[in-house]
Amino acid sequence: MRAYRALLRKDLLLEWRGRELVPAMLAFVLGAMVLVRFGLGGETLAGGTRAATGLLWVVVVFTSMLALVRSFAQEREHGIWDGLLSTPADRSAIWAARATATFLFLALTQAVALPLFWLFFLQEGRSPSIPVLVAALLLADLGVAMLGSLLAGLATHVRAREVLLPVMFLPFMLPLVTVAVRLTVDTISPQTSGLHTSQGLGFLALYDTIFGLLGWALFEYVVED
Amino acid sequence: MSSSDPAVRCDAVSRRYGERLALDRVSLQVQPGERVLLTGGNGAGKTTLLRMLATLLRPHEGTVTVAGHPLPREARRVRPLIGYLGHEPLVYPGLTAGENLELYAALHGAPAARVVEALELVGLERRRGGVASELSRGMRQRLALARAVLHRPQILLLDEPTTGLDDDGRERLRGLLASHEGTALISTHEPEWFAPLGVRSVQLAEGQLA
Amino acid sequence: MVIGSQRARPDGATVAATATAVLMALALGMIFFYVPTDVDQGYSQRIFYFHVPIALTTYTLFVWGAVNAARYLWRRDQSLDLKSYIPMHLGVIFGSLTLATGSIWARISWGHWWFWGDTQLTTFLIIFLFNCAYFMLRFSVEPGERRATYSAVYALLGVGLIPLSVLGVRFAQRNELIHPITFNSNGANMDGSMFLTFLVALAAMLSLAVTMYLVELRGKRIDDRIRAIRRLAEARA
Repeated sequence: MRAYRALLRKDLLLEWRGRELVPAMLAFVLGAMVLVRFGLGGETLAGGTRAATGLLWVVVVFTSMLALVRSFAQEREHGIWDGLLSTPADRSAIWAARATATFLFLALTQAVALPLFWLFFLQEGRSPSIPVLVAALLLADLGVAMLGSLLAGLATHVRAREVLLPVMFLPFMLPLVTVAVRLTVDTISPQTSGLHTSQGLGFLALYDTIFGLLGWALFEYVVED
Repeated sequence: MSSSDPAVRCDAVSRRYGERLALDRVSLQVQPGERVLLTGGNGAGKTTLLRMLATLLRPHEGTVTVAGHPLPREARRVRPLIGYLGHEPLVYPGLTAGENLELYAALHGAPAARVVEALELVGLERRRGGVASELSRGMRQRLALARAVLHRPQILLLDEPTTGLDDDGRERLRGLLASHEGTALISTHEPEWFAPLGVRSVQLAEGQLA
Repeated sequence: MVIGSQRARPDGATVAATATAVLMALALGMIFFYVPTDVDQGYSQRIFYFHVPIALTTYTLFVWGAVNAARYLWRRDQSLDLKSYIPMHLGVIFGSLTLATGSIWARISWGHWWFWGDTQLTTFLIIFLFNCAYFMLRFSVEPGERRATYSAVYALLGVGLIPLSVLGVRFAQRNELIHPITFNSNGANMDGSMFLTFLVALAAMLSLAVTMYLVELRGKRIDDRIRAIRRLAEARA
C-alpha cells in the first residue's frame, strides 16, 4: 500500500508540475466536440441528441488514447523501469498506481467535457439521464484505465508503439462502447426500464472486474524480462 | 540464507539478445564481504551480468543464485538485499532529489528517515529540494548512488559508479565502499582507482570470462 | 541436438492430412448430394454447413491458443509459444473465411452483405480485429522471450474479451435475434440428416485445422533447428 501511494503521488506530482497530459486532453476533447457538432451538420438534426450521445463515447475513447500513449513515458524515456523493478515493490502496485492516475486524468477531463457536451448538444431537446451518463462514464474510465495501463506496459518495448497501442486497444473498446452507447442513449426516451439501465451498468462493472483481475495478474509478466 | 552460501554464484550462465550471445557460459562465485571488479571493453557483458544479478534479466541458460536464492524464481527475496546502480540515474527528472529518494524508500519499505542519511552520505543534503533534471551530471550520479544504498543493501551492484563524479564525489564513493560491510560487484574501466579497496578483478571479453 | 529423432515418431501430419481429405470429401458429398434442401431458405442454405463449422473451428483455435499462452507463462517453455501462436495464426485464416461465408449467407438470407443487427456476426468481427492486433503486436517485437510473453499476455486478454463481446453485443441488440439459431437448450435445432451432415462438416474443418497446425508446427521447428545449426556453425568458425 505504501508503494502504491508513493507511486500515485509521483504520477500526480509529475503531471501537476509538467502539465503534460491533462491540458492536451482538454484541448483535444474541446476540438473533438466542435468537430462532432460540425459533423452532425451544425444545426440540430432529427435524432441529434441520440447521435451526439453516441459520438460522445467515441470522443471519450479517442481522448483516453492520448493518456494511454503517454503512460509510462517517463519510465521508458529515462530508463527508470530498471530502478522500479530492482526494488521489492509489488509489480501490481505499479500497475494499480498508473491505472489510478489515468482514471483521475480521464475523470478530470470529462468533468470539463460533460458541461461542454450539454452546452453544444443538449440545451434544447431531450437529454439522456445525467446520473446514468456520469455513472457509465466513471465505470468506463475505470475499465479503460486498468486495461490501458496493462497494454501501455505491453507496448513499452514495442516498435512503433504510438501506432500499435491504439490498434491493440480498440478491439477492447468495442463491447464497452456498444453497451455504454445503448445504455445512455436509451435513457433519452422516458419509458426506459430501470432493469435495462442496471443491466447495462452491471455489464460495465463486470468489464472492470474482468480487466482489473487480468491486469493485476498479468502486469508482472509484461514488465519483467 | 545460511552463512555458508556465496553472495553470488553463477554456473555456466548465458543470455542472448536476439541471436547475439551477451553472456556465454559465465561461471563466477563471490563470497560474502568480497569486492569484485568486473572489467572488459564495451559490450563485454558487464552490464548484462549486473542486470541479471539485479533480477532485471532472467538467464537463458545456467543457474544464478544470489545469497542462496536461485533466480528468477526467488527474485522477491533477492530484491531487498541488493542495491543496483545502473547506467541511467534511474530517477524521475521532474521530481526533486528528496522526492525521488522518498519514492524509492517507499518502494523498498525503508524508513523515510533514511532519505536524509543517504543524501548526507553523497553530499547532496543541500540539494534535497533541487529538481533532478536541473542537477549536473555528477550530482545526478551522486543521487543515483544515494538511491542505490538507501535501504542499506547487503550486496551492491554498481555499473561504472565513477562516471561523471568529481574528486569530492569519488572520495565519497570510496568512503562509502570502504565502510560497506557487505559484498560489492563493480563494473569499471578504471580498475586501478579501486585497487586500494582490496578488490579481486574479473575480466569479461565477448561475454566470456577471460 | 538430435536431428534424426523425428523419423522414429509416427508422422502425425500425414495421418491428419489423410483423415482431412477423407472427411472433407465425405462432407462435400453430403452437403451437395445427401442433405435435403431447407424448406425456408432453399438451396443456398447449404452454405450453413461451411459457415458454422468454420466459425466453431475459429473459436476452438482461439481457445487452444489461449490455453497454450497460459501454459507458456507458467512454464516458460519456448515450444509452447509456437503452440500458442500457430492456432492464433490459423484463427485469422478461419476467421476471414467465417466473415466471408457469413457475409454471403447474410446477402442470401437478408439481402445485405453485412447486417449490423446480427449479434454473432458483430461479435465475430470484434474477435477478428483482436486477432489482427495480436499479429501486429507479434511482428513489432524482436523474436525471443519477450515476444513470447507479450503474445501470451495479449492472447489471454482475449479470453476476457470474447464473453464480454457476446454479452455486450447481445445487450445492445436485445430485440433483434435475427441470426438463425442452430442450437438451443433442447439440443440441435435440426433434423437428423441435417445434423449428421453438420457433424461431418465440423469434423472435416477441425481435422483441417489440426493438419494445418501440425504442418506449420513442423515447419517452424525446422526453421528453429536451421537457425540453431547456423549459430553452432558460426560459433565453430
